[in-house]
Amino acid sequence: MKQALVLSDKDNVATALADLAAGAVVLDITLRDDVPFGHKLALERIESGEHVIKYGYPIGAASSPIEPGEHVHVHNVEGLRGRGDLEGKA
Amino acid sequence: MISFMGYRRPDGTAGIRNWVLLVPFRYEHQIAERIARTVRGTRVLVTTGCLGRPKQDRETFARVITGMGKNPNVAGVILIGTSNKAEYPEVDYAKTAEDITSTGRPVEVLTVSDCGGAGAATERGIDIARRMVVEASRLCREPCGIGELSVAVKCGVSDISSGIAGNPTVGSAFDAIVEAGGTAFFSENTEIIGAEQILAERAASPEVAQAILDTASRTEEKARSTGQDIREMNPIPANIAAGISTLAEKSIGAIAKGGTSPLRGVLRYAERPPGPGLYFVDAWMSSYSLPAGYAAAGSQMCLYVMGGESLPSGVAMPTVSSGVVIPMLYLTGNPRTYAKMEMDLDFNAGPVLEGDETPDAAGKRLLTLIADVASGALTKTEALRHTDPVDLYFEGPVF
Repeated sequence: MKQALVLSDKDNVATALADLAAGAVVLDITLRDDVPFGHKLALERIESGEHVIKYGYPIGAASSPIEPGEHVHVHNVEGLRGRGDLEGKA
Repeated sequence: MISFMGYRRPDGTAGIRNWVLLVPFRYEHQIAERIARTVRGTRVLVTTGCLGRPKQDRETFARVITGMGKNPNVAGVILIGTSNKAEYPEVDYAKTAEDITSTGRPVEVLTVSDCGGAGAATERGIDIARRMVVEASRLCREPCGIGELSVAVKCGVSDISSGIAGNPTVGSAFDAIVEAGGTAFFSENTEIIGAEQILAERAASPEVAQAILDTASRTEEKARSTGQDIREMNPIPANIAAGISTLAEKSIGAIAKGGTSPLRGVLRYAERPPGPGLYFVDAWMSSYSLPAGYAAAGSQMCLYVMGGESLPSGVAMPTVSSGVVIPMLYLTGNPRTYAKMEMDLDFNAGPVLEGDETPDAAGKRLLTLIADVASGALTKTEALRHTDPVDLYFEGPVF
């Protein structure tokens, strides 16, 4: 069974298919963090503000620079839609 | 060609169940429940009515009652009211009865005032229901094509398996049903935000494309008007715990459950489609709300794609009966979820996530199960004698 799944050629993240530990090598990338089942890992460096791409589509933007092999989740990705909290702050 | 054994109704539709439906309009739940406890083969539509609600919500209520009564799985209907006097114009026993009768189904109106009290109304209702159930039981199932199916889907407790395995498997089965001339519904407004362009590209006309974009922007506007980050409401904490980071990520995975057929239209909650094909329903995600709306739109069965990564072992499914007259078929694309709650899940699309099966191959397996359930096989949750609340999709303020 695969360790992680890339859903589209355009994607810059992969989905873990097992609980993966920091230091493990997955898709030729050394993991910098633990990545639990179902969570995402970065396939390449993603600059702050750059789109995070999954299924070939943007799912949000990096809120800080993300290194290859880092866990990609709510701590470093921001949703761009339905953000009532951002009204008036732009 | 896959077929199933269904009940041919006078209006030409094919039922997969054969219920007598009891509909209390306002305060008559006790009467309905007592009839249902006494007479097998009956179901009760328990709502909180529409008192003090604006016109558009009263119309929704009327659509649900009438639509549920006309559902292919319903053999006959008993409308139960307090008196024939002064109701909202949208909520009229005679009009509802006439509308359902036009489909050839027997309809009876039972009012407390006509019967001379709740006890007498209950006794009378038991007699009527017994007669209807016995009459309904005389109808035998006959062969029907899968193009006569109208199926619906909801996804819940989503995790990453939902978008990768569970939803695409349902999508593949739905593609086959639509291809055969059938109808399929998907919904959940919040979960098209971020995926609306993908759907608009699949719209059957520019009007439909605009309707789906409008639905997404209206929902997003509603979220913004709360002044809150929609992430505090959706994705729900269970989604985030399971690895879904943003609403767009959830949405792109969520729309896979509708399949890849052209999008024929955007319907209101409980609205009948103008013809066969794939439709998006403008509605709310609640497990207590959506299946009832689908049933009122004429769907015979509701599939529920469970993610479930964040759930403990052996937890009960979110709803058993909120579609009232339509069975819920539960599946998951998460092999760990399937292992945890096999007692309640009817289908495992886990091999798709593990790379051992394509969504299309799993979709073929699922289609066989759909046909079996349509022919009368019970789903696991359907075997339970339990009634969930039905929470209709009302949008207006209350007064």
